[in-house]
Parts: sequence; C-alpha cells; structure tokens
Amino acid sequence: MSNDALVLLALWLLPLASAILIFAFGPMLRRSAGVIGSGAVLVPFALTWVLAASALGTGGLKVHLFDWIAGFSFGLWLDPLSLLWTLIITGVGGLIHVYAIGYMWSDRAIARFFAYMNFFVFAMLTLVLSDNFVGLLVGWGLVGLASYFLIGFWFFKPSAVAAAMKAFVINVVGDAGLMFAVFVLFAATGSTAYADVFAKAATLAPATVLLACIAIFIGCAAKSAQIPLHTWLPDAMEGPTPVSALIHAATMVTAGVYLVARCAPLWDVSPEARALVGTIGALTALVGAILGIAQWDIKRILAYSTMSQIGYMIMGVGVGAYQAGILHFFTHAFFKAQLFLAAGIVIHALHDEQDLRKMGGLGKKMPLAFWAMTIGTLAIIGFPPFSGFFSKDAVIYGALERGYPLLSLIGVVTAGITAYYMCRMLFVTFLGNNRGNVPDVDLGIPAREHSEPHFGESAPAWVMGAPVAILMVPSVVAGWVVFGGRWNALFASDFAPKPESALATVLPEWLVGVVVLAFVAWGVAAAYHRYGSFDATVSAVERLRAESQRMAQPLVRAFYFDDALEALFVRPARAVGSAFMRVVDPHVIDGVVRDVVWLAGWIGREVRALQTGLVRGYALVLALGAAAFLAYFALIGASR
Amino acid sequence: MNAPMDVDVSYYIVLSTVIFFIGVGGVILRRNPLIMLMAIELMFNAANLALIAFARVWINNAGQIFAFLVITVAASEAAIGLAIVVVVFRRAKNVDVDEVAGLRG
Amino acid sequence: MIAALVVLPIAAGLALYLVPRSAELTAKWLGVLVAFACFVIAVLGNGQPDESLRWLQRPFTANLHVGLGGLGYWIVLLLALSTCCALVALRIPRQRDFVAQMLLLLGAMSGVFVARDLLVFALFWDLMLIPVFLMLVAWAPRRNTATAWRYLVYNLSGGLALLLATAAYGVVEGSTDVIGLSVGHGATAIGAVWGTWIFAGYAFGFLVKTPVWPFHTWMPDTYADLPPPAVAVVSAVQSKAGLYGFLVVTAPLLPDQMRAATTLMFVLGLVGLVYGALVALVQDDAKRIVAYSSLSHLGLILLAAFSGNPVALAGAAVYIVAHGLFSAGLFIVLGQVEEREETRLLSRLGGLGEIEPKLAGALHIMVLAALGLPGLCGFAGEILILTGLYQAGAVWPTAIALVPIILAAAYMLRLFQHFMHGPPREDIPQRPDLRPVELLALAPLVVAIVLLGVYPGPVANSGVVAGPNAVVSLAIGARR
Repeated sequence: MSNDALVLLALWLLPLASAILIFAFGPMLRRSAGVIGSGAVLVPFALTWVLAASALGTGGLKVHLFDWIAGFSFGLWLDPLSLLWTLIITGVGGLIHVYAIGYMWSDRAIARFFAYMNFFVFAMLTLVLSDNFVGLLVGWGLVGLASYFLIGFWFFKPSAVAAAMKAFVINVVGDAGLMFAVFVLFAATGSTAYADVFAKAATLAPATVLLACIAIFIGCAAKSAQIPLHTWLPDAMEGPTPVSALIHAATMVTAGVYLVARCAPLWDVSPEARALVGTIGALTALVGAILGIAQWDIKRILAYSTMSQIGYMIMGVGVGAYQAGILHFFTHAFFKAQLFLAAGIVIHALHDEQDLRKMGGLGKKMPLAFWAMTIGTLAIIGFPPFSGFFSKDAVIYGALERGYPLLSLIGVVTAGITAYYMCRMLFVTFLGNNRGNVPDVDLGIPAREHSEPHFGESAPAWVMGAPVAILMVPSVVAGWVVFGGRWNALFASDFAPKPESALATVLPEWLVGVVVLAFVAWGVAAAYHRYGSFDATVSAVERLRAESQRMAQPLVRAFYFDDALEALFVRPARAVGSAFMRVVDPHVIDGVVRDVVWLAGWIGREVRALQTGLVRGYALVLALGAAAFLAYFALIGASR
Repeated sequence: MNAPMDVDVSYYIVLSTVIFFIGVGGVILRRNPLIMLMAIELMFNAANLALIAFARVWINNAGQIFAFLVITVAASEAAIGLAIVVVVFRRAKNVDVDEVAGLRG
Repeated sequence: MIAALVVLPIAAGLALYLVPRSAELTAKWLGVLVAFACFVIAVLGNGQPDESLRWLQRPFTANLHVGLGGLGYWIVLLLALSTCCALVALRIPRQRDFVAQMLLLLGAMSGVFVARDLLVFALFWDLMLIPVFLMLVAWAPRRNTATAWRYLVYNLSGGLALLLATAAYGVVEGSTDVIGLSVGHGATAIGAVWGTWIFAGYAFGFLVKTPVWPFHTWMPDTYADLPPPAVAVVSAVQSKAGLYGFLVVTAPLLPDQMRAATTLMFVLGLVGLVYGALVALVQDDAKRIVAYSSLSHLGLILLAAFSGNPVALAGAAVYIVAHGLFSAGLFIVLGQVEEREETRLLSRLGGLGEIEPKLAGALHIMVLAALGLPGLCGFAGEILILTGLYQAGAVWPTAIALVPIILAAAYMLRLFQHFMHGPPREDIPQRPDLRPVELLALAPLVVAIVLLGVYPGPVANSGVVAGPNAVVSLAIGARR
C-alpha cells in the first residue's frame, strides 16, 4: 500500500478510533474528551491537504479494501468531489468541535457528546470516501445514526426523544430508497462500484436509469430534507446547537447534494430525472423560505433556511449545473455554520431561551454574535460581495442556462423571501429593546414548559468565540473562488460541459444578478419596515403579540406535512397492526386451529355412543365381524 | 407312521363347529358371568378339537402343541375371569353382566 | 470428532444430574465449559472428513452419518456461541437442572445441523423439542403449562410430517444417506406424486418450526414464557432449522418441487414479513415484539431460499447467522432488564438509560443490528438478499420487503426508547447496572455482530451451488 493510501486510511479511521476511545474512557476524560475529539477531526483536516495533490490527479486516489462476494467490493476513493467534502467535514467540523468544548462545558455527558460527534465525522467520511454504493449506504446509515444519537442527546426530554425517532425513521425511508437503487443498478450492471456502474450508465435502458435515479433521490430527499420528507429537520433542532451546526446545516444534510453530483453520469442520461430533481429542489427552496417567515424559534428559522438553501443546491445539481450546486454547498457550509454558532452564543447566554420574542436589543450586549450573525445573514441572502451572492447567482443562472426558466424564477422569488425572513430574525433578535423580562403572555407566546437550564459554569469566552471569528473570513470570501474559472476547472473531469442554451444568450448573467438583487433589496426593505425601523422597535411588544396571534394557520402547521404523514402512514400502520394482534392472530389463525381441536372432540363425542358397556353386545359384534370375514373369504375371496 | 383314521375328519370338524357355536350362543345370550366363562371354555375346546383333528390328518405335531398352549391360556383366562367375577360380585352384589356397564361411553 | 458435538453435550447434560442440586455455580460453569468446548470442536472439525456408522439396511439404507461444513458449520458455531453467552450470565432458580436441559438442547440441535442422513436429521429434529418442552413446563410463569403443550403439539405435528416424508423418501429412493449431495444428484427420479407428498411433508415441518405465517401462533407465547437464556438459543438457532432444511436438505433433493412451490412460499414469506412488522409495532411486551420481528425477518430468508439466486442465497446464509446473533443478544439483554425491573412491558418502563447506561448501550447495539443498521450484521444479510431477489426478477416482492425494513426501525426504536429514554420512572426498582460477568456474556456477540456486518465474506461464500432448473442450494462441504 502506498503512503498516500495509508494516510487516507488514517484520516478515515482516526475519528472512529477517537470515538471508541472517548466512549470507553469517557468518565475519566471529562472535558479533555473535547480536546481529544477536536484533535481527531483537525488532524485529518491537515492530512487531507497532504493528499490534495494525488486526489486532483487523474482518477483520484483509490484504495481497495476487501470484497464481500463478487460485485460487492469495498474501497476508498478521493477525487475532487470527495476531497471538497472531506475538507469541509474536517475543517468546519473541527471548528465546531472546538466551539462545542465551550458550549458543552458544564454538561455531565460531555464525553459521550464528543464520542458521538467523532463517530459522526467518521460516518460522514465513510459516506463521501466510499468508492461504491454499498459503502456509501453504510455511511448514509451511520450518519443517520449519529444524527439520531445527537438529536436525542438530552434523552430525558421527551420532545428530543420523539424528534430523534422521527429523524431516524424518515432517514430509514431514505435508506430504503437508496437500497432499491442498489438493487436496480446491481441487476443492470452486476456491480455496486461507482466506476463499473457509471461506465455502463450510457448503455442502460432509459427506464432503468430513471428508476435508479428516482430511488437514489428518495434517499437524497430524506437525508437532505427535501419535500415531502423534510419534516424531521425542524424537529431535529432539539439537539445541542453545535450538532445543528455540524450535522443539520454544514455537512450531513448536504449528503443528498453530494450523491446527486456523484451520480452525475446517471442524471446525464435521464432528462426526466433532471426535471424531477430540479423541480423538487426549487419547491423545497420556496416552501422552506415561506415557512421560515412564520417561525419564532431562532433555531427553527435557521433550520427552515437550511432546508431552503439545500433546495437551491439540489436544484443546481439536479438541473445539471453541478459546479453551481456544489459551490453553494461550499459557501453555505461556512455561513450556515457561522449563523448557527452565533445563535448558539445567544442561546447559551440567555440560558436556553430560543424564542425571538424574548430577545431584542442584544446587539450591544453581544457584539461578536451580532456581527457574526450580520455577516452570515448578508452571505445567505446573497448580498455582494459576500460568499452567498456568487453561489446563489450561479445556481439561479445555471437553471436558466440549462433550459429551466421556471425553476430559476422560483429561485429568484425565494431569494427575496430569504432576505425577508433572515432580516426579520436579525432585527428582532438584535435591535430595539430587550424583552427578556416581558411576560410570555404579553408577547403572545403560548404556555410552555420551562426546562431547567443545564448551564453551570462557563468556559473561557474565546473557546466559543474563536471558531465564530475564524468562520467570518470564509463566509465573506468563499465565493471568490469563482474568479478566473478555477472552480469550474476543478471538476472538469467529473462533469460533462454544459450545453449551450438559447435563453442564456438572451439574458446575460449580470442581468439575472440585478433582478435577484432587486428582490433581495425588496425583502430587506420589507423586513426593515416591519421589524427594524424606529417605529417598529418602539412598539415591538404589541406588534409581536399581534403577529403571533394572527399568524396564518397553514404556516403555523407547516403546510400540514406532518399531519398528512401521520394520517397517511403512521395511524394506518398502527391500526392494522392492532387489528392483526387483537383479531387475526387470536381469532382467525388460532380460530382455525381451534376448529381442528373442536373437530377431534366432536368426532369423539359422536362415536362414544357405540361404547355401550354391554359385554354381550361386544361379543355379538365380535361374532358378526368374524362371520363377515369368513363370508368374505368364503364367497368373494375364493372367486379371485 | 401313516396310521389310517377310523373316523373321517369331517365328523370332528362338524362336532367342533357345533360346540363352538354353542359357546358363541352361550356368551351372547347368557347374562351370568360364570356361564359365560364356561361358554368361552367351550369355544377354546372346540378349537382344540379341530387342531388335534387336523394334526392327525396332516401328521404334524404343531397342532397338538397349539392345543396345549390353548389349554394353558384357557386355564389362566379362567383364573383371571373368575377373580374378576368375584370382585364384581363383591362390589355389585349381583352377577348380571348387563348391570356391569361401567365402561359405557 | 464431529460426533462429539452431539455426544459431548448430551452426555454432559445427563451427567449434570449427578452433581448435587445445590452446586449451582459449578453447574453453570461446567455448562459454559462444555458449550465452549463445542465451539472449539466445531472450529477444529470444520471440513474434516465425515463420520459414518452403518445403521439400517432394511427397508432402506440409513447410516449414522455426520459431517461439518458450509452453512451448517456457521450455524453450529452460532449455536455453541449463543449457548455459551446465554449460560455465562445465568441466574435462575433450579440452576443445575436448567443448565442440564440447555446442554441437552445444544446436543440435539447440533445433531440437526451435522446430520448427513435424513433419518438422523428427523431423529434430532424431534429430539430438540424435548428440552424446550421440559423447560416450558418446569419454568412456566404462573405454573401455566398451556404454552408448553401448544409448543409440543404444533412442533410434533410438524415433526411427524417430516418423519413420514423421510420414511417415504427412504422407501422410494432406497437410501436416506443423501444430505449434502449436489443438486439433482445421480438419478433422482422421484415421481411427481411421491415427490409432491414428500416435499409437502418436509415443507410443513420446516414452516411450522421456523415459523412462517400462518403457522406462527405458537411462537410468541413460547418466546414470552421461556426463560431468557433458553429463548435466546431457541430463537437464534432452533428457528433456523426450518430454513436450513429448505436451503440444504430439500433444495438439492427435490429441486422441481422447490421450484413449483416458489409462488406459494413467496406469498407466505411476504405476508409474514409485513404482518410480523405491523404487529411488532403495537405490542407492549418486549419479548413479543422481538418474537414478531423474528416472524418478519425469517420471512425474508424464506424469500431468499426460494429465489433461486446466488446473491440472495449468500445473503440468506449471512442473515441466518446475523439474525441468530442479534436475536440471541436481544433476548439476553431483555432478560437482564426483566431481572432488574421485574417487568418487560413498554408501558411500565422508562428512563433506564440514566441509571443503567451499560445496559442501555448493550440494548442499543442489539436493537440497531436488528433494525438493519448499515455496518452491522443485519444490514449485510438484508442487502444481499434483496439485491439477489431483485436480480432474480422479483421486483414487487423486493419493493414490498422494503416496507418492513422501515417499520423495523420504528418498532425497534420504540422498544428501546420506551425502555431507556424519557424521564426516569419512580415506580420501578432502581437496580445496579450490568455486572462484569453480564458484560462478558454480551461481548462476544457484539464483536461477532460488528465483524459479520463489516466483513460477511466468509459466511456469504460458504457454498452457493447452482443446480439444474435454476434451483440454487447451499452446499455444506464435500461429502467425504
């Protein structure tokens, strides 16, 4: 095995080793678990850079591990695509680990937390480094597990437990979809390795490819919170904030984007799959943004914005603008992690208060959080020259270029709504006067249970501050990688060049950018008018109460997706199961068994009448029987 | 040892059949267990008669050996049968077999 | 050597009755030692020459013929391992008698999987009922023996059908020394009528034993009433006897009949898959949840057995062992919960994770393996089976079979969360966490679950043999 291969193995297995170590010796390690855990992510980050050269070379870096049976071979593959994801997972992941040392400082189970976090990093690396669909599926399942562990980290909270269960089950739906794709592709190509499958992609029947693409996309939709499988993501905010930042914003939820990009050779031959994925991505972006307007919980707003932004990415890779979709993943990882970490600072300082209505006026108290949140917001709404501007534009224009004008129109409208709800969050949190002491009722907050704050003594401020400060830099500049065409050149070997489209010649990119900016400006202005202006901040309590009470029901119920899933799947399954348990098993199946028992008894009861107890009667039957025998042999038997 | 038979074998068989059916009739018609046992004894001996007669005809001693076996069985059967009758008489103060119907289903 | 797998535990089990009743610890560790010895013997005996004694010449040839290899080898290993683990952490009244019965069970079940003669197979098939029946009677909760009789009657009817079929096979073919011959060996010219009846007899025996829907109603009661160490072994191994029978016994001997029965078996397997999963979703008794999940999982293996696809069969071999590992582990852990909390009802438990973290961790691993988490053994079996099924053209069955996999996540996590999560309940005993010896009992199972999940190659390659008429069977090593 070459040195590069060993380094790749090391960077892949290091987080796992660390997770096991921390899990086994957790009670002894306590807070030093955080240091070990962070190191086990940052060292692989450094190692990844070592491998960058060979990953960018022809064919990337391949390591074969072992085979199960013919067609099921396992190995690692570092190419530009997986290299990018590995860097984000370990880089942003490492910063979030450091941040978490501070965030979880006084939690009794801090060691368990870091064991889970390291395990997640290992699982995510498995997902992106695998060179075949089954290995991908293993990573896919394991990140779901890590997500389940971490959402339910505070497992004494019933809401956290329910959210964890929901996230896991919906993700298993996705796993099942992905499994089906493996079946289809294995039956068609006899292999599960990417290389074999993609080599034969162009020769497969279109229906087969479409089926495989749909199955793959079910997996992507569940993992990346695309409608209608998105409902777990807002609930997943029950987990600690670093978890939301790492798993439910920067990395795991973008696995769907990775997979669609990875399977580009399949999508390239199936225009129907293109249209389907692009449409779902665009709709998710829109729905997520609309639902973001109606939230009061700071983390739920960020969750819906994540869903919406992933919708953009899926739309980008779905329509074939791979570089644009991936670029949006790249920039999003930074600014969304930063937004979450800034929100975490606020939540931490307010002792677990997450409701916007109880905040206000925090800008002066927490300047770092304020500036981080401001930069993050500017980036996410696509304000030039912040990173989101380049990537969001690229996606919207990419859809237009490839002949999906309707989708890019949805993208433009969504950009406006995004600007509105993000600024709403920013203004309500940080401007005006603090409403921490205003009673819940006056703010229109429904009665809620107060969990006792679990924050004891705090870590030094820099532990949480430094990662946020560091993330500000890429949040601003990450988008600049597009200059000089280097970004597109990076993936030139992975993706086919884009086709020329008539629309693109009519509408130049700068024009589209201006239109988007106009919508964004409108969104910011509307939010400022309602929440940020002097009038609004003075009468904030009354305004917020009025808004809470008048919120449209479909928005509050999140467009009834949860209710629909409950009514369509959960309740029928329970009802049928109960019917089987209470009726079919005891009465139908065992009924038949009891009938057999009854038949035996009935025959006995009927036949017992022959047993008269009269000895002379028995003797008579005996004699007649003997006579009958004799008669048979004498009369009939003799004639044979 | 091919001694001629003075009486034809058919006479023995007819006699044996008659005795056997007397025995059958006794078992079926009489209600006194002692008489029934005697009737069974008659049937055994009818069979013995037939066995010995045929043994003579075929010059084969197996028939005579069988007759001895039957006599032993008959003896033991009578012993057990009488014991049962005594026990039943003690319990029921009665020797009518139709009254002894404890095995009716 | 191979015969020792049968003789040693049975002799040791009988000899254990000579040990004083009060020597409970001695009995337990003797039992562990014997089970471990069986494990070692199996490892050493894999692929060794068969051992055979002449037995009957009339009315047909039958030999006391035993051999070890292929799938049978892995199941015997699983059997010895699960018995060992079940005994290590044993705490039960009348311990000596219990260990003795477990050893008798071990010997009888080994006999089923090493038999190379149909008559020997049938003999051990019925023999393995007896210890289970006796345990159901002697350790019945509330002295209620209805379950025991139900178990006996169901399985004896299956056993009778199997015995009749064996006798018929012997009379028609002249020899029963045929297990392990290749598919369609020599002049297998069983007529259509005889073949159908013989297959029906075997199939009935196998379906009842597995059990497959709708012959399953004895199973939840039996699993609920058997003491946990016994049910660990029964669900791990005894339930595999029927599937082993289909894969190894009837597939090579009666290929035409196997093929003809495919549709029927697919329907039964699929109904069982969905049915078991749905019932498990609403059960309150944890042991019954696992029992119904077994009904569901074993239905999947039945599909594989009749799919006639090499990949699916490789998956069946993996899943047979995998299911054995995690169901043994689940029942052992559930026993540990019940021993501490005196109940196993979901509605009565909660919050144990806070006070008993090791117990929670152990249950977590078993539950995750059972719901088919990628990377653990259940997944390896599932994906191979389903890939094979799809490749064999059974598109809709494959799609339907994915539904129970999703449901498995729901009911298994429901079990776990009701036990371990949520606020701690005040009304249940607060007992200490797992003792070291209890961890020792689970450690080998956990290691095996992970190993098989990551690298199922050796089990998967344990001998898939393609025969004529698109029937595929699992070989159990060459007959030597």
